[in-house]
Amino acid sequence: MDKNFRELLKKEYVVFDGAMGTMLQAAGMKMGETPEVLSITQPQLLVGIHEKYLRAGADVIYANTFGANRYKLEECGKSVDEIVKASIKNAKQACENVNPQALVALDVGPIGQLLEPTGTLSFEEAYDMYREIVEAGSAAGADLVVFETMTDLLECKAAVLAAKEHSDLPVAVTMTFEINQRTFTGCCIESMALTLSGLGVDALGVNCSLGPAELEPVVAKLSEWTNLPIIVKPNAGLPDPVTNEYNVSPEEFAQMMKNLRKYGIKVFGGCCGTTPDFIRCVSEMLHTDGNAGFWHEKEIPAAVCSPTKAVTITEPRIIGERINPTGKKLFKEALLRGDMDYILNQALEQIGAGADILDVNVGLPGIDEKEMMISAVKSIQAIVDVPLQVDSTIPEVLDAALRVYNGKPIVNSVNGEEKSLKAVLPLVKKYGAAVVGLTLDENGIPPKAEDRFKIAQRILERAQAIGIPKENVYIDCLTLTASAEQEGVMETLNAVYRVKHELGLKTVLGVSNISFGLPNRVLVNHIFLTMALQNGLDLPIINPNIPEMTGAVRAYKLLANIDKNSVDYIKAYANMPKVEKINPAAKPAAGSTGAAGSAAPAGAQTAAVPAGDCKEQLFHAVYAGLKNEGANLTRELLKDNDSMVIVNEVLIPALDKIGEDFEKGTLFLPQLIMAASVAQAAFEVIREHMVQSNAAPVSKGKIVIATVKGDIHDIGKNIVKVLLENYGYDVIDLGKDVEYQAVVDAVRENDVKLVGLSALMTTTLVSMKKTIELLHENELDCKIMVGGAVLTPEYAKEIHADFYAKDAKESVDIAKRVLG
Amino acid sequence: MERLIQLDNLNRQEALRYLGSGGQTPDDAFMALMKDCEKTVLAQARPRYVYRIFDIRECEEGVCAEGTDFILRGNSIKKHLKGCEKAAFFAATISDGIDRQLRIAQVSDITKAFVMDSLASVAVEQVCDKFEQILKEQTQGYYQTFRFGLGYGDLPIEQQKDFVALLNAPKQIGLSVSSSFMLIPTKSVTAVIGLSKEPVKGVARGCQTCNMREKCQYRIKGGHCNG
Repeated sequence: MDKNFRELLKKEYVVFDGAMGTMLQAAGMKMGETPEVLSITQPQLLVGIHEKYLRAGADVIYANTFGANRYKLEECGKSVDEIVKASIKNAKQACENVNPQALVALDVGPIGQLLEPTGTLSFEEAYDMYREIVEAGSAAGADLVVFETMTDLLECKAAVLAAKEHSDLPVAVTMTFEINQRTFTGCCIESMALTLSGLGVDALGVNCSLGPAELEPVVAKLSEWTNLPIIVKPNAGLPDPVTNEYNVSPEEFAQMMKNLRKYGIKVFGGCCGTTPDFIRCVSEMLHTDGNAGFWHEKEIPAAVCSPTKAVTITEPRIIGERINPTGKKLFKEALLRGDMDYILNQALEQIGAGADILDVNVGLPGIDEKEMMISAVKSIQAIVDVPLQVDSTIPEVLDAALRVYNGKPIVNSVNGEEKSLKAVLPLVKKYGAAVVGLTLDENGIPPKAEDRFKIAQRILERAQAIGIPKENVYIDCLTLTASAEQEGVMETLNAVYRVKHELGLKTVLGVSNISFGLPNRVLVNHIFLTMALQNGLDLPIINPNIPEMTGAVRAYKLLANIDKNSVDYIKAYANMPKVEKINPAAKPAAGSTGAAGSAAPAGAQTAAVPAGDCKEQLFHAVYAGLKNEGANLTRELLKDNDSMVIVNEVLIPALDKIGEDFEKGTLFLPQLIMAASVAQAAFEVIREHMVQSNAAPVSKGKIVIATVKGDIHDIGKNIVKVLLENYGYDVIDLGKDVEYQAVVDAVRENDVKLVGLSALMTTTLVSMKKTIELLHENELDCKIMVGGAVLTPEYAKEIHADFYAKDAKESVDIAKRVLG
Repeated sequence: MERLIQLDNLNRQEALRYLGSGGQTPDDAFMALMKDCEKTVLAQARPRYVYRIFDIRECEEGVCAEGTDFILRGNSIKKHLKGCEKAAFFAATISDGIDRQLRIAQVSDITKAFVMDSLASVAVEQVCDKFEQILKEQTQGYYQTFRFGLGYGDLPIEQQKDFVALLNAPKQIGLSVSSSFMLIPTKSVTAVIGLSKEPVKGVARGCQTCNMREKCQYRIKGGHCNG
């Protein structure tokens, strides 16, 4: 037999080794020492441990490289390359001495820093650290690479991509789950299986955290979600809280592992607390009892996921279509301004309304779509847990989005054109995504269902030919406009039916097009949606904020006996007001349907209030922190007033009054912030109004603000942002953990005269200083204000800031002085 | 193994103090918001802790933990642990669920974010208080000093990375340190508690050793932060 991990996996079972740390500690390693350094300083100790595991029956041993990354090795004086080389050499030496057929794994643990968005390490930096380790391991002659004890799915993805793009080594990944069946970062078992299987790992499984008995439910679930070989490397039970000794004996451990065989496990090993005795007992158990007949191929449900949530396409699921600038002035304007918060609120609103998946399209002439897509995917995933559908016509944009996406997304889209098939399908395969296939080709959209069916068939064949599983291909039979091509409606529905029932594929359909050019579009849309669902539509792409559309899906699921006992339906509508007046005049107003989510029916009451009173009321609403009222009153005032009048005569005086009372101490900070959010809502209404009427938005000048590099506490900066925006300043918010150069670039590109920098920690004041230095070096004509909990006016002066702002209110005063 | 602490409620008065209420009683609408945020924090908090007790010995640079090559550096920690034969090194976190909620609130409702942030800070302090109780039960016969955090006095915050590694906190409770020595998840604490057979004298937590003394809003107003 070849010495090859993939061949080894064809055996009835494979035995991995047990703990390294436990053995090193037993040999006298001090706590706090860097274990990997011992590979160089005490090679014989390492060779000896490896030999013991090999004699105990391990087919694969892990080299002593768990923490051999540049972050963890920072202070030990050895390079990644040196440590990896020495460690692999020791392991190979042991194999030569005991069992030349055994394999050596490059063992790689988490970097030790959390990735964005919770941490500060970027996906790209993590990728580069893994690249370095993998290249070293591959050069040193490792037979495979194992990423183990992982808790962050995105970090796994960075690691696997680094391994695949920088070596030919087989890749195995094991993650660490807690008793609640999630990792520390919340990753669930389904998401791990879907994502890693998609990325093409050779084996996956679990290690550490718990003993074999406690891990049983985790292993059971994992086995339902993958057909890949499963690795199980549990701890020797649970540690005693006082002595830290594990509570399972080698014999008991083997018995528990014997019990786990029924889940079709391929690879057996041990983690913390296990020793060669454990591996010997497991090995003997497998030798005696065998492992044949447990594994069987399972049908994996069609599903997509984020790290924390898997959405199975076993019933209709709503794809929210709102994150798309097409035909939306406000969205376009937000994209041009780089206003990510606008996009994020679109995401939150759709989820609140019932979207299961969100489509993300940020294509607009005049912006760098690729950079915007990366930024949108990262930002949206930082706050929502629904899976995304990345939507672009440009393959490079899709590639970039697929790379940084955490989980398994949908790609929108490929079509029957040769060019499209060639460009998009390999990306779908590489990143393990699902894909929407449009039934059109070089000749356009075929009018007949039969021909669209044929294109669907062709897309499926091409996908399967490069290894994309059938369950990852979703077909869009394309909605045509009923007013223009009435006879085409039933063709679309017939095509949906055939694709679903004859090809056995999941179907997607953008719905709203159907009613283009007709009055009362919502009516046509939701009836068409219902017809499509009845014909087998799985993934309607709709505006979930329109109650009739989301309602059609909910009602369909109830009537089709999918929503058992009407649980979801009742949950959605139980609290609905009983008496519903049908008000046909109110319905078609596009603005009102878009603003679902918040209870905002107050507009009707204020309509009769004279304008003068309205101003007073708005003043009061701001002061009292009444957000919805504030927005509605602004809308009302805009009918008869110029927006600048509202800003200058109502909003700013109200904020000034609040600011005064805050300084006097009669109001406290949260009240100031509440007032500021009302003013913010009012400004949103004004901005909307101005964009719709093609007027230039209110701006008193641009200000760049940032929480400095290394600092991730940005709540203070965000409060400052809201206040500055309230006073009509255009705030370019660079976010948190911002590179020095990024601040310089933003100032230069936007010709900005005032920069605000925030830092919360003593350790990040240095970054503030460096950012200021760089701004000065570049001789930019701008003033700098600084703020943050640990800053003092003296220190601000010392680092050559122009202004020190003791709180958010003062930053506004400074802005007034600098920009007017 | 997961060590969990249950939080049943949060000290709203303390959170109000963090928010700078200055002793005023906020209106009902604000208290309702607070209650709502408290619910979120309690639902999201997954308090975890990890600790180890070391025999300690004063050395030139600071205080050594026996059986390791780790030294707590500086004079303030020396003073703090004077007369203690042991010390508990601990780390606690309410985990990262709240970080996501804070991100959401910062986009959709900044007031909520602000209030939630202060309540989450209160939550992790309460976890530390509960931990001190647990430690007391585990170390009967010993007196405890107050918890001395990394970065407090002249105990360098740069030791955060090694401290967290020594406790194996990334693996045990999912706690890590960023390159600027911030704890992640953000609502986390690392600290040292001295243990002594004799009653520990002096060295109460005070403004003298505090890094914030020049800047502290409580001190400016003539008070202090310790309750």
